[in-house]
Amino acid sequence: MAQVTDSRSGRIRNAVGEQVRRTRRFVDETEPAALAIIAVMALSLFGALVGFLAVSDWTIVPFAAFLGSSAVGWVRYQEETAYVIALMMTVSTILILGLIVVFIFRESIPVIRYESATVFGITVPGIRMFIQPEWDAVSPPIRYSMVPMIHGTVMVTLIASAVAAPLGVSAALFLSEIAPATVREVVKPGVEILAGIPSIVYGFIGFTVLGPWASDQFQTTGQGSYLFVGIVVGLMALPTVVSVAEDALSSVPESMKSGSLAMGTTDWQTMTSITLPAAFSGVSAAVLLGVGRAIGETMAATVMLRGVPRLTEPLVNVFYGQETLTSIIARNYGEADGLQMDALFVAGVILFVTVLVISIGAQYIEWRMHERLGGEI
Amino acid sequence: MSENTTTTPQTQTAQTDADPSPTTTTGETVEQTRDEWTDYEFRGEAKMAVEDLDVHYGDDHALKGVSMEIPEESVTALIGPSGCGKSTYLRCLNRMNDRVSSARIDGSVKLDGREIYQDGVNLVELRKRVGMVFQSPNPFPKTIRENIAYGPKKHGDLDTGLLARLLNRSDADERDDLVERCLRDAALWDEVSDRLDDNALGLSGGQQQRLCIARCLSVDPEVILMDEPASALDPIATAKIEDLIDDLSEEYTVVIVTHNMQQAARISDQTAVFLTGGELVEYGDTDQVFENPHSERVEDYITGKFG
Amino acid sequence: MAGAGRTDTRLVESETTETDAVAGVAVGLSAVLFALAVAALFERVSLTGSLFGVPTVTLLGGLLTALGVAVIAFGVGSRFGYVETNPDPSAGLIAGFGAAVPWVLIGGSVASQTLGLGVGVGAVAGVATGAVAFAASVLPREDLGSTVPLGALLGVTGLVFLTGVIGPTWVWELGWAQQAAVTAEFLIPVSTLFSALYGGWASAKAYGGFGARGRHMGAYVLVYVNALSIVAFLFILVAFVVVQGIPGLLNGTEFGFGTGPTTSVFGVSVALPVSVPFLMNGVALFNDFQGVLPAIVGTVWLVVGAVVLAVPLGVGAALFLTEYADRGRFTQVVEVATNGLWSTPSIVFGLFGFAFLIPRFGNGKSLLSGMITLGFMLLPLVVITSREAMLSVPDEYRDASAALGVSKWQTIRSVVLPAALPGVVTGVILGVGRIAGETAPILLTMAGGTFVPGSQTADVIGGFQFTSAPPFVANPELLQATSALPYQLYALITAGVGASSNVGNADEFRWATALVLLVVVLSFYAIGIATRYYFRRRLKHT
Repeated sequence: MAQVTDSRSGRIRNAVGEQVRRTRRFVDETEPAALAIIAVMALSLFGALVGFLAVSDWTIVPFAAFLGSSAVGWVRYQEETAYVIALMMTVSTILILGLIVVFIFRESIPVIRYESATVFGITVPGIRMFIQPEWDAVSPPIRYSMVPMIHGTVMVTLIASAVAAPLGVSAALFLSEIAPATVREVVKPGVEILAGIPSIVYGFIGFTVLGPWASDQFQTTGQGSYLFVGIVVGLMALPTVVSVAEDALSSVPESMKSGSLAMGTTDWQTMTSITLPAAFSGVSAAVLLGVGRAIGETMAATVMLRGVPRLTEPLVNVFYGQETLTSIIARNYGEADGLQMDALFVAGVILFVTVLVISIGAQYIEWRMHERLGGEI
Repeated sequence: MSENTTTTPQTQTAQTDADPSPTTTTGETVEQTRDEWTDYEFRGEAKMAVEDLDVHYGDDHALKGVSMEIPEESVTALIGPSGCGKSTYLRCLNRMNDRVSSARIDGSVKLDGREIYQDGVNLVELRKRVGMVFQSPNPFPKTIRENIAYGPKKHGDLDTGLLARLLNRSDADERDDLVERCLRDAALWDEVSDRLDDNALGLSGGQQQRLCIARCLSVDPEVILMDEPASALDPIATAKIEDLIDDLSEEYTVVIVTHNMQQAARISDQTAVFLTGGELVEYGDTDQVFENPHSERVEDYITGKFG
Repeated sequence: MAGAGRTDTRLVESETTETDAVAGVAVGLSAVLFALAVAALFERVSLTGSLFGVPTVTLLGGLLTALGVAVIAFGVGSRFGYVETNPDPSAGLIAGFGAAVPWVLIGGSVASQTLGLGVGVGAVAGVATGAVAFAASVLPREDLGSTVPLGALLGVTGLVFLTGVIGPTWVWELGWAQQAAVTAEFLIPVSTLFSALYGGWASAKAYGGFGARGRHMGAYVLVYVNALSIVAFLFILVAFVVVQGIPGLLNGTEFGFGTGPTTSVFGVSVALPVSVPFLMNGVALFNDFQGVLPAIVGTVWLVVGAVVLAVPLGVGAALFLTEYADRGRFTQVVEVATNGLWSTPSIVFGLFGFAFLIPRFGNGKSLLSGMITLGFMLLPLVVITSREAMLSVPDEYRDASAALGVSKWQTIRSVVLPAALPGVVTGVILGVGRIAGETAPILLTMAGGTFVPGSQTADVIGGFQFTSAPPFVANPELLQATSALPYQLYALITAGVGASSNVGNADEFRWATALVLLVVVLSFYAIGIATRYYFRRRLKHT
């Protein structure tokens, strides 16, 4: 164990050393004037960022300085300026993720304090949002429980995955292994277009057509059911599953597939015994990403659900749809302020963290697949 | 096979030598191919008979009217420069070209006298009987044992699944016997017998290729097609494969594509030479083709003047 | 000869026989049932009415029973050698589970509801029935195992419909705290649908003669049905919106010279020869026809703003990652970050914009905040697609250029960027299509009213002003809340009927808005796909 940590810290030291050496080389090899310009660019951009974060009206000044110095640098030392600008753009991409984390977490802190509760003699901030199912923003006691919304999101996501995963993987198999070239040329753009239909359009059709129909069929009071929100959201997540799974399936080397076919197996046997197992990680990553899409889907859920944050009775009653983590934000941001608004940020934090974990998990699985198939890809 | 009408006696070919031979004219005239150069008479049965085989890939005419018969239990080498259609030809023999959507195949290929290009041909049965080893080793990402048992399992000859085990009718012993026999036949047993449950992708290139040959033997084929099986291997691994092919020819009909003429001369009983344009130019006894070819172009190719 | 004994009939199979025809008819019957079930589900076929002179439910029941009998007959015939097939010793676990699931449902609901034995007994009975079905699939030879349990399922379902046990008016009250019931209108089409799929699967297996080929056939039938359904779904969805939206869109449309509003082109006033009030008007009290012009213009500006922000940033980042940075920790972190950003829910971007941007741009919802929020959403997509495009530029190009002594940046500018351009452009267009339809982020950052007067149409270019106080440049148009198509649609839905008095037919107005939104978004996609197709063809030809 000690050795492992040793080698790791050694690696980090090496990497840092390499970075320092490279920076020094860059400084050595670059003309002083160019270095000066770069320094001005970096400092002024940093200044603009600080100004922006501090809500200063003077932000424009360092930003103008940045633009000016960039222009000078571009004319005089294009090589170095291009490098530095590209680097800054990369850093800003990471910075945006960082800002999202900071800001949505920061906004949610007050309500987490408010919802502290004592469990087993220890006071845990925010825990009351998860141990009782009451959401009431109007009449005391004011409670902001996340439980009903988590329940709703889980229900919708389960149903959506049950729709999207089998249909999506089957469609991916069709596109990558079965369809003749001409059919693929038609179906593949079709799947992409399906991904492009705005969620509010799905929601609108769900609200005007599916909702009344479903409430009629199941004789429910009022419209809005997790079952149909789940189905619609599943159809919306379908294209994600199809395209990612199709990529994974087509990355299985053709020689493996031919090897199996030349043994006298049917196409279907080749798919189930060679192609799918070889692409298994990629296909599960596809399903995971589809699940992530389903969790984050907002507008269709907002429009189709009832908007009353409570648990359904009984819990498995999918014919009633109350509220999900996404829809409560979209529905209540308008009249919410103070603690309620902060509670909406808590819903955002839960969503963000869940989906980020799923995304990282999917990437890890895909990375493992590439490692395993090694040089074959 | 006496009813085999296309096998012409060699004497006939001597008489048809009436037209002016283009080989005597200046170099710019392209030498005509002549049927008698590819009429190869052999003892024994023709395992596969190909007649007037034409293959087009889109507008590209990859094979032009190839006719040849492949004798049983021997090694037939197909040689020729790159792009001459020899691999295409090989892949027609077990209909792997069906996978290429742009390919159009005309003509006739018979296996034991049965046409394989007709409606109702069972591709599963055909490919079971005409196995194939590919240019670069392509083991499945499974264990060595599973690689060998794959074909018989898929054909329902071996059942070692969960259900079979539950019902106590698992064929695990038969499977292990088969794995050992195939690996021994492919001269790989001694090297891998202690790690049958390791992933096959961990083997060296030469071992992988012999594993693929063993895998091919597991379904007990009659014909084994090999598409440059040693081109991706080092000389030692190549030598092992060549020895193996020699042994295999006692039981199987082997058809091998190679661009290595020494290899063809070493291992084959008869050789077919394809030249650019997808024509079969000469087909005959390996010694005759290499030492005394009829065609001037073949001679140039073999002596290294072109190709 | 050696192989003579094996030169049997198995290599070449006989032509289509009567038995094949029977199996083929069974597949066809399944297709008819599938179609009928879908039609009934969408209420195109009335369950209480009749088809071809037969009550619908009776017809469905009869067809299902016939299919079930055919499937069983085929299996039994194969088992006793009347039909030549090639079955495996067992149908396999997947077929077993496939058959068990519907039988668990049937057994469970019959025991608990029809016999009234309660949930506990129902669960036990369901599992027991499922186990029997599983054993009946798995234990006998494949030809029996893959037909009898499924054929029985079809037969039982069919008989239940035929005998009227479940008729068109059947209802099952679930008795839950929140009232809900399963009605015949739902149960009959859905069970017919799944039965038809099972029937199609079983008869396709039979058609293939069981064994490996039979399973191949069975699986292909299901995969093809799935693919066809997805395409059909897309087609129906788009067609539905078009049909519903056209009347509202064309409301008051006039053709002919001088009918349209006048615009100035190069300083010359030109009257458009066509007038589509829905696209050219806002909402106002004295308008003859109301329209969504402000929302269209808002969407356009949003997209422009997002592209201006995200494309340089994204392409620059992709450039750095592929060309300058060595593969290592840093690129890995950026990759994880971009992929994480890509899957971040849109509403979270909205929250972020609300917390981060709104206080910094005049403390109110504004077009600028919306642009930046959407730009952040577009950014990861631009990075990912540009990176892919740059990675697919062969290294030989770079090497060839570097070998001529050209500096790195020159190589990038003159070799890498042009070669990667098609991929980048396609990716950007498809990404724009995605964000143009997004509602959630702009909901919190920029959205304005439900019905927007034409006077509030954003005029960004004309809005720039210079001021003496910092920040010296101001553009009230950018800092104003405005509408966009997806938001407008959302607002129209939630506004309900009450607010509709001033647009005449509110439903028409909504559908027309949905149609315009769909057209705008799908045209981005169409352009993106066409661009890719064009570049690909050009690559092939050169």
